[in-house]
Amino acid sequence: MLPQQLANGLLLGATYALFALGFTLMFGVLRVINLTYGFYFTLGAFLALWLTRAGVGLVLALPAAAVGSGLVAVGIDALLLTRLRRARADELSYLMVTLGAVLALYAGMAALLGPDIRRLPPGTIDEAAILLGPIRVTAAQLLILGACAVLVAALAALLRATRLGLGIRALAENPDAAALMGMATGRMAALVSFLSGALAGAAGVLIGLNFNAIHPYMGESMMLRGFVVVIAGGLGSVAGAIIAGLLLGIIEVLTAGYLSSGLKEAVAFAILVLVLWTRPQGLFGRSAAVRA
Amino acid sequence: MRFLVMLAACLVLSTAAGAAEPVPVGLVAILSGPNAAYGTAIRAGAELALAEIDAGGGPKIALTVEDSGGTKDGAINAARKLIGRDHVAAIIGPTLSNEMFAMGPVANGRGVPTIGTSTTAAGITDIGPFIFRTALPEADVIPVTMARAVARGVKTIALLYASDDAFSKSGFDTMRAAAEQAGLKILTVESFASKDTDFSAQLTKIKALQPDAVGISALVEPVSGVLLQTRQLGFGPQTLFIGGNGANSPRLGQIAGAAADGLIVGSPWFVAKPDPLNQAFVAAFHARTGHDPDQFAAQAYDTMKILDEAIARAGSASPGAIRDALLRTDHHGVMGPFRFTDHRDPASAEGVVVLEMHGGAFRVAE
Amino acid sequence: MTLPPFLADLIWTYQNVIVALGVNGLLALAMYVVLAAGQLSLGQAAFMGLGAYSSALLSLRLQLPFTAVLPLSVVAPVGFALLVGGPTLRLSGVYLAIATIGLGEVLRAVYLNVDVLGGALGLSGIPEAAPIWLIYLILAVALLLLWRVGRSHIGRAMEAMRVDAAAAAAMGVDVRRYRLGVLLASAALAGLAGALSAHATDFIGPNDYGFEPAVTILSFALLGGIGSPFGPVLGAWVLTLLPELLRGFADVRLVLNGVVIVLAVLFLPRGLLAWRMRRIAA
Repeated sequence: MLPQQLANGLLLGATYALFALGFTLMFGVLRVINLTYGFYFTLGAFLALWLTRAGVGLVLALPAAAVGSGLVAVGIDALLLTRLRRARADELSYLMVTLGAVLALYAGMAALLGPDIRRLPPGTIDEAAILLGPIRVTAAQLLILGACAVLVAALAALLRATRLGLGIRALAENPDAAALMGMATGRMAALVSFLSGALAGAAGVLIGLNFNAIHPYMGESMMLRGFVVVIAGGLGSVAGAIIAGLLLGIIEVLTAGYLSSGLKEAVAFAILVLVLWTRPQGLFGRSAAVRA
Repeated sequence: MRFLVMLAACLVLSTAAGAAEPVPVGLVAILSGPNAAYGTAIRAGAELALAEIDAGGGPKIALTVEDSGGTKDGAINAARKLIGRDHVAAIIGPTLSNEMFAMGPVANGRGVPTIGTSTTAAGITDIGPFIFRTALPEADVIPVTMARAVARGVKTIALLYASDDAFSKSGFDTMRAAAEQAGLKILTVESFASKDTDFSAQLTKIKALQPDAVGISALVEPVSGVLLQTRQLGFGPQTLFIGGNGANSPRLGQIAGAAADGLIVGSPWFVAKPDPLNQAFVAAFHARTGHDPDQFAAQAYDTMKILDEAIARAGSASPGAIRDALLRTDHHGVMGPFRFTDHRDPASAEGVVVLEMHGGAFRVAE
Repeated sequence: MTLPPFLADLIWTYQNVIVALGVNGLLALAMYVVLAAGQLSLGQAAFMGLGAYSSALLSLRLQLPFTAVLPLSVVAPVGFALLVGGPTLRLSGVYLAIATIGLGEVLRAVYLNVDVLGGALGLSGIPEAAPIWLIYLILAVALLLLWRVGRSHIGRAMEAMRVDAAAAAAMGVDVRRYRLGVLLASAALAGLAGALSAHATDFIGPNDYGFEPAVTILSFALLGGIGSPFGPVLGAWVLTLLPELLRGFADVRLVLNGVVIVLAVLFLPRGLLAWRMRRIAA
């Protein structure tokens, strides 16, 4: 049973990490708690649902849904946050605006589409289990693991090895200095919004595919875990988000499997609190003095 | 003199018109938020019954619908508005047992009869003498399902439920009691949160224990999620899945598809029931809404008719008289013959049929 | 005291809303206290839950009179705040926010798993012993106190901490003591609110004190503005009344609710009540 439980934990953790990837990017670079993130996750899943129903294969539907979610993210970002950026509003204003927006977006989607759970058409992905020794996994789960690895590698390469990445890092480090150096920070911020929206959309497709449950509020139910992962991992740290996500998944599964399923969440949150008590900036976060 | 006669005639006419005035009735249902699907079905069922009542000769009902949003505050506010502002003589609803536990004391305190059509948790009618339900409590349905499982040779069972929602918790308590009563050995009890999408840890543990059956008490969305994951984790057809009332929804087949095949659930009603009254209801509902009714719609449909008959028997719009008349209910509806016990619960569970999922739809279990 | 029937009916109809306005006002103040000192501490829903559960148990199990229950209801939340305050107050910003949310989720798991607390079924049959006037009296007293404190040197120290904690510490403000002080005040206010609401609606459940209520309480204070204690209360009232006024719109109601919040923050960046208190010169 243990190998299967570890695999369960790893796969659950991968979904958390996948969800948190774009969230931590948005958080870390734009320094904004953007609660609309969960909506792009929902949107990606719905875009893929409509595309696959129209007969488009997953290979095409996945990137298309990601790009679509990214573009919507840029639009919503421009609509909501440009004014706040210009006014140099504080963190809390962003929190509040995006909270209001995301309430309206989820409810609008539910009003338009109905709250029912939908699934991607059968046969979108092979649903048969794959046996790896004592472990059973599905193609969707392997796809999530693979996507996690590929997206992390691509993100790391983008941030570390390209001029664009240098710009993004400069923006994260000090937006004022970046602007003074002649960087088009507005365009750069839009780009980051696009990237994180697209990552959210891709995560929505893959997680919707795995759990077979696509509904307007699906992003909302991931948000709390997303917060935990991003903050336990350290704001803006891609590696931190991945490790925190995987750990959270494994801890939850092992608690449920060997301790008590009723305590699954309690143990996960207790560990979160303990982590913060001992490392106030998360596992991989930088101290406030450096960021200030 | 002539004037006085005319005046008297006018008065008589106006009181006669007063007697025929529609009786105000309230409906509290979840029409917004994540659980709106339940309330929408209930409203559709109630409105179909209302249309038939309007076409017939019985007392007319003026229905006011209030949305509870699925929260207890929403349900309380809805009931207070219906009673204080609209002066309703009776209320149908709310949708969830949790809402009834919050809203019931308010309506009961004002002496307004309130009939839950989908509140199946234990203790609903203990709230007070004005609280009724037409929903068969789980305690009446689940033992029937368990007996069927035993007849199929089930000896051991694992139980799984959503621990953060009152309906599922109460259904689980009933399920555990029924399993013990049926002499089943309970191998493990596992829980999850209603918004969870991953159940792999609990299911892996259950699979390792090799139970003959798995009993699940939760709303239809998580039940579907659980069933889908059992297929991923390699549960075979030898494991019998037993659902509580939450699993008794056509949406189970729509969400879980073939993964739900083989699940059995007890139900006071099912769409293909051959009874002509039921067939007429299903056809009328389909013509009105474009899709088949579910259990929630059927229960709301019957409840509206039961209330209308009670209003006729009471002969007045007084809530107290309607309450007493409700206790004398003897109705034949799409759910079958219906009476209330002295404790205002459904009197008989004889109509319960055990349904089995097959090819994404329910049919009567062999 | 007898009211004319139409007025009695009106109050009865909106009693739950009237109670919610008072209780949410208190919760907004519990949020205001910490925000005014620059602490994004989101434990108010959890403190409220502790106040509600402990007071409900005192009423149901020990049958204590409400006059005894109400003051005792602050014990559990304040005790919990003292217990976790030390390590938690080293955190700041979103780290503090998520740690306090996490503590709330741990408590919710306790409510769900401990049989005496009713699990998901919660506790019901709580005596309806909290009169409306008492809720508003407590709200008025709390407002007055916070207003007076805000105008004093304590208020100035809190504002200095909010603007720059390190600078405030350098100026001789005992930051740690102030942080613990505002946390305890917040816990006490939220605990009272919990006890009052539990004894006004007769039924409590674990899901009333989780993540979503925590975020809602934060939005009360932010919408109203934290320049003075009156802003958060106004914010709470607007956000409590809005869903009621928009009832009947079903799902569109939630859309409008969200849009109002967005427009308010975009066009009234200091909150609905931008007025700031004048301090008494030190």
